[in-house]
Amino acid sequence: MNTCAQTLVSLPSRSAAACDSPARRLPGDLAIWFFILAELLAFGAFFIAYAFARANNVELFNEQQLALDRNAGAINTILLLTSSYFVVRAVQAAEGGQGRRAATWIAGGFACGAGFIVVKLFEYAAKFAAGVSLSSSTFHMFYLVLTSFHFMHVILGLVILAALWNNARKGRYGPGNMNGIETGAAYWHMVDLVWLILFPLVYVMR
Amino acid sequence: MQTRESSARAIQHSDHGTPLRATVIWVVLIAATIVTWSMGENGSSGPAVVGLLFAIAFGKGAMIILDYMALRRAPLMWPLLALGWMTLVCALIGIAYWKGLAA
Amino acid sequence: MKYSSQSVAMPYFIAAIGLFVGQIIFGLAMGLQYVVGDFLFPEIPFNVARMVHTNLLIVWLLFGFMGATYFLVPEEAETELYSPKLALLMFWVFLIAGAATILGYLLVPYSTLAEMTGNNILATMGREFLEQPLITKIGIVIVALAFLFNITMTMLKGRKTVISIVLLMGLWGLAIFFLFSFYNPGNLVKDKFYWWWVVHLWVEGVWELIMAAILAFVLIKVTGVDREVIEKWLYVIITLALVTGLIGTGHHYFWIGTPEYWQWLGSIFSALEPIPFFAMTVFAFNMVNRRRREHPNKAAVLWALGTGVMAFLGAGVWGFLHTLAPVNYYTHGSQITAAHGHMAFYGAYVLVVLTIISYAMPLLRGRAANSERSQVCEMWAFWLMTISMVFITLFLTAAGILQVWLQRVSDTPMPFMAVQDQIALFYWMRLWAGVVFAAGLVTYLASFFVKGDSKPLIHA
Repeated sequence: MNTCAQTLVSLPSRSAAACDSPARRLPGDLAIWFFILAELLAFGAFFIAYAFARANNVELFNEQQLALDRNAGAINTILLLTSSYFVVRAVQAAEGGQGRRAATWIAGGFACGAGFIVVKLFEYAAKFAAGVSLSSSTFHMFYLVLTSFHFMHVILGLVILAALWNNARKGRYGPGNMNGIETGAAYWHMVDLVWLILFPLVYVMR
Repeated sequence: MQTRESSARAIQHSDHGTPLRATVIWVVLIAATIVTWSMGENGSSGPAVVGLLFAIAFGKGAMIILDYMALRRAPLMWPLLALGWMTLVCALIGIAYWKGLAA
Repeated sequence: MKYSSQSVAMPYFIAAIGLFVGQIIFGLAMGLQYVVGDFLFPEIPFNVARMVHTNLLIVWLLFGFMGATYFLVPEEAETELYSPKLALLMFWVFLIAGAATILGYLLVPYSTLAEMTGNNILATMGREFLEQPLITKIGIVIVALAFLFNITMTMLKGRKTVISIVLLMGLWGLAIFFLFSFYNPGNLVKDKFYWWWVVHLWVEGVWELIMAAILAFVLIKVTGVDREVIEKWLYVIITLALVTGLIGTGHHYFWIGTPEYWQWLGSIFSALEPIPFFAMTVFAFNMVNRRRREHPNKAAVLWALGTGVMAFLGAGVWGFLHTLAPVNYYTHGSQITAAHGHMAFYGAYVLVVLTIISYAMPLLRGRAANSERSQVCEMWAFWLMTISMVFITLFLTAAGILQVWLQRVSDTPMPFMAVQDQIALFYWMRLWAGVVFAAGLVTYLASFFVKGDSKPLIHA
């Protein structure tokens, strides 16, 4: 697997010295990747169920989708993307030996994630006030189930980011110890990744 | 895995790319999000629009998977699994959309 | 055995095996009643035999879980049990209460039993699996509380490991969800709704935590793989089990009067329930492949691997088979459910209890592992029981598919009893597979009495 040739093929400009570095490596813990795959499967099942339920009920879905708050959805997309960006910077800082600096980046990522929660809560408050519930329609059921399932993941992700921040602040991450921060970061990017499909699917596609 | 190995890697080779690359990707992701949002606000619909919508989503997802999740440098199975998931989900959504048009 | 108080596990394990034998005897009787309707009538009618069969299963698994806990927790906490006396007292209370309840089922008509035991004060009887008289239910709560008190106190004074915390979470959950057996609303929909909070949230929720913890404990012991690695997998497995299992309750809410959204929630989340079982299989094989020592107890390793595979097949695959709402529309309450029930209970819970018994019993009897001959006998028992259970499941699945077809899908549906005649052949084959299972069980019992040179226990 970890052959020199592979490195040279993918990065032809690299000098032969680069062969000393291991070629392909899964960042973070294998267990989290197993977990991420299970999560992707779960969200995938929901997305596909939504799409086919919509196909049987296009008019209802198109009509009720109009009432969704696309501005809130777009702001939340931007918040998650920015948060992911900050977390990448944190990982890069740790990789470059600036473990404590990583804490600041993670704090930025956490703030954006918390912003997502606040925006979402306002969105939900407005929807509940308008009488949206699990039983009010198939569209509403999917809207609530999909977004709240994702919402739970954001909360769990924030707990993980808080733990990463705490460790980073104590200088625990660095080039020799990347496992923890890479593991947490991978989970957070997954939360972002599924939202990138959820937003166009539920808020925009018609 | 080992400390010596990892620090050696940090000097010559990065698993997580450069800050510049990450920033450029972030700008592209934000720009793409604004395009998606404006499509929604215009109420655009139809197969071409939805095709573009999910092409954008796929591109964004691929950037997250390959660069932010750093699967670009992981054993091939992992980026393929993640991208395969994206492809499958987008394709099935497309089929369902087409089915909805026919109905 | 590292702590002398671990020996209280012994009577629990013996009682578990004894009740297991009883369960199989009643299982065979019922298997025959399926095809010879008046067998043992009117002494033991089918409904009573079924109640005894399922209740004995639950009680012996509980004995097994409690024995496992008494063995596992002192060793994990690195301290003696808080009160071995209380543990022994509760053993006798639980055994006598259990035996009295079963005798009550067998000797008195169910309605008389209900009158005798105060069902008119608080009606809790008559619901499948929760048929126990009120006083038995109260007894179960008292035993459970005393047991949890004992275990919690032991853990508080000792080392807290991930394995023992997960186990304790599972046991507390087991006790808490049992309280819903006292809530018996008159509305049939609500009745069923909360009934599943005991039945489903036990077997597809908190029991999975217990199972994962026991399996992880045995794997650490027999493979010598780092605790850190095993704990990490444990986190992943229990998170997946809880998320899919809790919301997966919805797969029981199809077509019974609950809101429509349960069809979506139940279908999707329960379709994902095989994932934690799959993770458990991968985990078990992965750990055994990475083993750092050759444990002399080969039989325990076999039971542990068997748990992984059979739980995935029985709970995972056979559960998935009929968990989607549109499929369940046809298969609800057919022999397909029976097929799934048999293999899932055997694969997940019977095997995990037999795994810990296989690992712990030799230690409790003062040796590292049983003799070669005894282990060979035990492994024969494993294969006989496991293969016959696979056949029981396959025959019931075939019976179920035919039943669903003739009774529900066909353009000219046949009445229930006429269909039962049509599928009698499969019931006969299931009965013979059951006889082989019983032979496996006898082999298992014999393995405890096979003499030979056992490996001595080396004290570290």
